[in-house]
Amino acid sequence: MYIDDVKRILADVLSLGDAAGALTESSPLLGSIPELDSMAVVNLIGALEEHFGFVIDDDEISASTFETLGSLTAFVEQKMA
Amino acid sequence: MIPSAEPFFLDAAPGQRYCLFHPPAGNCRGALLYVHPFGDEMNKARRMAAVTARRLAARGYGVLQVDLYGCGDSSGDFADARWEIWLADLEAARAWLRARLGVPVGLWGLRLGGLLALDFASRSAQPVPDLVLWQPVQQGGAYLKQFLRLLSVNEMLSQPEQDKGAGNTGALRTALLGGQALEVAGYELAPELGAAIDALDAARLAPAGRVHWFEMVSAADRPLAPALARLADKWRAQGCVLELRQVAGQQFWATQEISESEELVQATCAALEAAAAEVPAPEVAA
Repeated sequence: MYIDDVKRILADVLSLGDAAGALTESSPLLGSIPELDSMAVVNLIGALEEHFGFVIDDDEISASTFETLGSLTAFVEQKMA
Repeated sequence: MIPSAEPFFLDAAPGQRYCLFHPPAGNCRGALLYVHPFGDEMNKARRMAAVTARRLAARGYGVLQVDLYGCGDSSGDFADARWEIWLADLEAARAWLRARLGVPVGLWGLRLGGLLALDFASRSAQPVPDLVLWQPVQQGGAYLKQFLRLLSVNEMLSQPEQDKGAGNTGALRTALLGGQALEVAGYELAPELGAAIDALDAARLAPAGRVHWFEMVSAADRPLAPALARLADKWRAQGCVLELRQVAGQQFWATQEISESEELVQATCAALEAAAAEVPAPEVAA
């Protein structure tokens, strides 16, 4: 249910523009989107925190969280549950 | 004609600060001191700051941009920067601007510069007529944690969830506040500066004057973030005249490429002109 929010935040943080529209749940993120470097991951975590109003601790996330749009959305859903 | 901007060095303690003064075109309608953000956000936002300063100057507002101690072209290394020196820099810059234009000086701060402006205004003996805040940092502690994450992110992404050690963000914060300087993204952060940022909370800094607060959102009809709504209620209960506007556009201080928001430039100019015309503060559009 949060996939559109996550997609929009991703598009905003990475300046993906219209390319973001084509992303689906199974779209790979980390390692596949060149804009998603470690600095962008930090900005993305910050943007998710500010948008959803939760706090993310280091031990809640790893590379697998950012594997696909679906895995990132699943993480947000679990935080919001 | 718009007079050209005047670069100069302002004597401060210690050393000098690089300043850029944008003289007002025609009759002076007010004065603003720009307070830049922190780290890489300062670099990313340089263009928007310059564009907006020129636009305000064309409309009769004198604007002074100052590089704080240890930042930009001013004296000092970032490792030597301290919150108290930055507050003193703002005092010196305000005195210069006030002497030059002979009008009360407002403040315009972006991100951490917004929180610095709020702290400065709360300590100031002279009233601050207008406070322009562009997405100010509200919680210094949360901001510090996000900054430290630049250092811990690689470990975060490479280690399995169970195996987080001394490099995690919480451990870094503890080390910093315990007196260990940390180099984060090329900036050496002193424990004293980290502790000062960590302790700041905008909720306790309700300004006495008028505040123009702008938030960049992806679409103008986004609801106000709950944290911001709570802060606004708190400030208004203390008598703060807070005008809160959401502007659709990119967060130009964090985008990969340098970007601008024409809408934010216009909204900022319009807000100051409305205040100058003593139009009553409109209801919150959110």
